[in-house]
Amino acid sequence: MRLPEKTGTAENAKSAKRNVFSASSARAAVAFLWLLDKEWRELLSSRAWWVLLLLIGPLVGVSFIGVVRTYAEASGLNGTAAGVGEAFSPLVGVWAPTFSACELAAAFLLPFVGIRLVSGDKQSGALKIELQHSMSALARIAAKALVLLAGWCLASAAPLVAVILWKMYGGSAYAPELVTIALGHVLNAGLTIALAAATASLTDHPSTAAILTLSVTVGTWILNFIAAVQGGVWERAAGYTPTAMVAEFQHGLIRLDVVLIAIALISTGLALAALWMRLGVPARRRTSESLALAAGATAVVIACTFATPSWDTSENRMNSFPEADETALASIRASLHIEAHLAPEDPRRVDLERRALSKLRRVLPKTTVQYVSATSIGLFEQSAPHYGEIWYDLGGKREMSRLTTAEGVLETIYALADVKPPIENDAEIFRGHPLAVQPKGAAAVFYSIWPALIVAVGFLVRRRHA
Amino acid sequence: MVVVRVSHLTKRYGQLTALSDVSFSIRPGEVLGVIGPNGSGKTTLFECLAGVLPADAGTVADEARTLAPGDRCSVLFYLPDAIAPWPAQPVRWALDYTVGFFGGRLDALDDVVARFDLDSILDSPIGALSKGQRKRALLAMSLLTPQPVLLADEPFDGLDLRQTREVADALRAHVAGGRTLVLSIHQIVDAARICDRFVLLSGGCVRGEGTLAELSAMAAVRGAAPHDQSLEEVFLALT
Repeated sequence: MRLPEKTGTAENAKSAKRNVFSASSARAAVAFLWLLDKEWRELLSSRAWWVLLLLIGPLVGVSFIGVVRTYAEASGLNGTAAGVGEAFSPLVGVWAPTFSACELAAAFLLPFVGIRLVSGDKQSGALKIELQHSMSALARIAAKALVLLAGWCLASAAPLVAVILWKMYGGSAYAPELVTIALGHVLNAGLTIALAAATASLTDHPSTAAILTLSVTVGTWILNFIAAVQGGVWERAAGYTPTAMVAEFQHGLIRLDVVLIAIALISTGLALAALWMRLGVPARRRTSESLALAAGATAVVIACTFATPSWDTSENRMNSFPEADETALASIRASLHIEAHLAPEDPRRVDLERRALSKLRRVLPKTTVQYVSATSIGLFEQSAPHYGEIWYDLGGKREMSRLTTAEGVLETIYALADVKPPIENDAEIFRGHPLAVQPKGAAAVFYSIWPALIVAVGFLVRRRHA
Repeated sequence: MVVVRVSHLTKRYGQLTALSDVSFSIRPGEVLGVIGPNGSGKTTLFECLAGVLPADAGTVADEARTLAPGDRCSVLFYLPDAIAPWPAQPVRWALDYTVGFFGGRLDALDDVVARFDLDSILDSPIGALSKGQRKRALLAMSLLTPQPVLLADEPFDGLDLRQTREVADALRAHVAGGRTLVLSIHQIVDAARICDRFVLLSGGCVRGEGTLAELSAMAAVRGAAPHDQSLEEVFLALT
């Protein structure tokens, strides 16, 4: 009768192991909750965060009040005929400019909040104490990132107030558009937090971290500028800068590649911060681990660029062709190659890209586009023999057109594919939501009530914690 | 019996050797004083031991195994000198946080608060405390941690004579409860008051390890007999 005894012993051992494991998991969870509590308290005691909260109200207010007035003036002209209805989409007319205040705050205010939270521990000596817990560095940085993101979400109450005011004025708010914009700004804030955490962890002093963070931000603007002039690979890279990413979301477009790349960059920034937080690891090892991380991140980002799905959440389908056209295009099986002889800064190229090709890529992901030009502005190429030509190659059949409108591009493709153009459906045309009201009370809310409320709450909270 | 054995620990900052082949042992339940003048490498030694600063060579081991820097927090807790962690938070919260985050000794909380006379400053932010008050608060906090060995860098720095004696008594009482203390002290009089054994550190090298009697005998063997048996004289004779 020894066997059952042995089994019993093995089971006891397994059970003991399970208990030890669950006890250590519980201890780790408790420690993480304490860390979250500490980071939250540190955020509440951070002047940088209160300044961010204080300023974001007036920043949103300036944008909101301005755009509501402009929207009202345009609406008052009764310009709601088909064809200009797109101008009365609150997405472009109100939300994009209103939420752009968040972009400003994320670029110039949020980094300081993030740097304060990460560098503060180094400066005060708290990091040396906390490092003596076996918690992983990634968990530590995750606690900071979560708290910073929560802090950012609280700051986002300002644009939420704008949405409420707009609804009170009788304006239209299409929920998917608002969710898309909010998602874009949360990802943008995530990028800023990850960047600030990485620079604060890499450097010894907060001011160095701030300079480094702003340098990266300015660097992305330079990249956008170079892309506008040079095109090509620069243009492709610039499509993933925070500014370009936010612009996509502000137009109601969720692109899987953009979301995946943003998540990959956020994860890389936080992982880099975690690597350099480990003061006890030799700098040489941290450097080699950082290089490996950068190489891995580059590979992931490149892989993500091949993800083609995207979702147009705009009410007026501003990122899509009409549904009938999309159905007709989807029936085309042959691969399409477009060669456009237009310089990067030529307005016709911008039109072609925005009005037609960006929509076309969403329906026919295998479409390849090649731009040909000898200069960046195209001004002195106008007399060149092929300048301005757009060549379409569909399954070996070629056609040339100079039209840069969506209708012109579709017409050429249908002709090449022998597809009958669908009949335009008037019911599908977006008529817009004009609203001719003044932004009543908005100035009081954003310029007086919001700052007063933040100062009062800040005073009470800091007094309670002090 | 040894709770931690330090072997051949070396740390260089570029051309400067801060610690050179440092070896000594920590015995359970003792108060070990690491004695040395400013710049002798005491803080560097503690930071390397605690794993918050990478050493270039050497090992730290407990009875069973060599402890990697990441594993040392299971045995050692290091309280740095001249820090003001979580400056906006009150002392009461810092003590609770230490117990909660590190899984520390909740049962010792009231006793520690009383011994370090913290009642009057419990609600004061750490950043607003005087140097002495902050030192007392941080020492109290470190006594609540669960690790069996506590390394405290300059525990009496910033304290007046009365406070030094009170803190020394509190630390002694804590050791009686089974904990091991390693204190870095540059004031030899303070060290003599509280420590059982000593490690004499000078220029990054260990010049002697043992009780006062052992160190005195060591000095005599080296032909540098001290004038008397005081720690000061022994230190001067050996360094």
